[in-house]
Amino acid sequence: MIRFDNVSKVYPGGFVALKDVSFQVESGEMAFLTGHSGAGKSTLLKLMCLMEKATSGTVELNNTDLSKIKYNNIPYARRNIGMIFQNHNLLMDRTVFDNVALPLIIEGCSLKETRKRVEAALEKVHLQNKLKYYPNMLSGGEQQRVGIARALVNKPPILLADEPTGNLDPKLSLDIIKLFEEFNDLGVTVLIATHDLGLIARMKYRTLTLKQGKMITDGLIEGLHSKGKQDAR
Amino acid sequence: MQDSEHFARPSNKLGFSARFAGWVIRHVQQGIGSLGDLWRTPFTSVMTILVLGISLTLPATLHLFVKNAKTVTEQWNSASEITLFLKLSVSDKSAQQLVQRLSLYPDIASVKYVSAEQALAEFKVLSGFGDALEYLDDNPLPATVLVTPTQRASQAEAAGDLLLKLEQEREVEQGKLDLEWLTRLQAMAELIEDIVIGLALLLCLSVVLIIGNTIRLAILNQKDAIAIMKLVGATDAFIQRPFLYAGIWYGILGGLVACLCVYVLGTYLSYALENLTHLYHSNFKLEGLTSSEILLLILSAIILGFSGSYISVRKHIKTIEPTAD
Repeated sequence: MIRFDNVSKVYPGGFVALKDVSFQVESGEMAFLTGHSGAGKSTLLKLMCLMEKATSGTVELNNTDLSKIKYNNIPYARRNIGMIFQNHNLLMDRTVFDNVALPLIIEGCSLKETRKRVEAALEKVHLQNKLKYYPNMLSGGEQQRVGIARALVNKPPILLADEPTGNLDPKLSLDIIKLFEEFNDLGVTVLIATHDLGLIARMKYRTLTLKQGKMITDGLIEGLHSKGKQDAR
Repeated sequence: MQDSEHFARPSNKLGFSARFAGWVIRHVQQGIGSLGDLWRTPFTSVMTILVLGISLTLPATLHLFVKNAKTVTEQWNSASEITLFLKLSVSDKSAQQLVQRLSLYPDIASVKYVSAEQALAEFKVLSGFGDALEYLDDNPLPATVLVTPTQRASQAEAAGDLLLKLEQEREVEQGKLDLEWLTRLQAMAELIEDIVIGLALLLCLSVVLIIGNTIRLAILNQKDAIAIMKLVGATDAFIQRPFLYAGIWYGILGGLVACLCVYVLGTYLSYALENLTHLYHSNFKLEGLTSSEILLLILSAIILGFSGSYISVRKHIKTIEPTAD
């Protein structure tokens, strides 16, 4: 469960990235987060990943107030969040297997268990034949899928994606979103930040819209979704 | 709220033995992996190892020379003698009694009596004034007793104490021990030892700084990878480990280089030293590092390597934070 209660974030220098943002995403729910560049989407995700701290208000993940987590416990908190980025954030000098295995190695999984779970995660994203490849030998879509496999390999209860389809063509974007749907069906809470309105229109999910740091809409955007249906036809 | 720290706690699903085995395996993997990292950057690694090795060679070689110099001076010390000049009035019989008494001293290894006649005969032969001495009416030389202290009593201070004691004997006019040169020699040896310690401390500091800087560069080189690891939940300890192992590897390899350098230098100089000491009819042989000294040298190098990398990782890894860009 993700809960924001009157959260504001002001960066040094006075830039207000978020202002009194409140919302709640229930466990097992899938939602989109949208808004123009600079609307505050990335800041909101950074707060959930403990990369930033809220200036005021409360951010809770699975009933834990993130502001109360001590520095030494931040890594353990991050293990409960699967994070996917537009630029994939892969280790370029390590193979696909090593990249996906990283969260399990960090957690201290046995070698046998690690191999089993990495192979299962890569099978899920259809990259089971590319275990020994290096990221620069893969296409953008494949790299993104490696990132997704890594985010999900340790079965986190929450999945956050920041512009996961940003560099991909529409068909690949849809494939990636379908993958998220599959994980959501397994009970994972999914929040996808994107400014791709076409993609949001094709999916019928709750959408949170940010504008200049403020939450302006929360729910299904009817006009947008009927437009999506027309586009699909 | 159920449990505020629930979200932040590590999983304890595995038993202690399984977790301990996993911990050991991860250490072994990261230890071997860090050796692989050194192998992948051969130029930097070799340069760092050589700097460490050569820096340790200097104090180790000086230590070797101080150790050998001590062995030599100890030999000289044990050969030192105390000469007791007896009063002219002392008869041969009283002198023999004195010799018997001195033989019972626990600090005395041997006693030799030289009568006044024997002393004059020796002087005639050695001085070259044999004919001139024939014209003397009386023998001006006193009888002497040559006392060799035991090994324990042959050190400068103990020998001085023994001399004072022997001078208390009623037959003795004067005692003589050439302590000055021994004291000077020992003072010089102590000075050189202090210089070696000072130099070793300075070089150790430079080794720590060099390794710290090498590790700092390695950390900066892997800044992006560290940020990604933090993002997927790696603790600082997990990220630090390969760098700490790298410091240990630098120490082991640098220590081995230092041992090799000391051996080569020792072998090279021992020929020259043996030639020199041979001229003084000495069988002196340069003693190399013992196995315990080799172990100590390598252990010191490991400690220095670990310290350098520890200081660096503590300072730099905490400052690297993941970014979403």
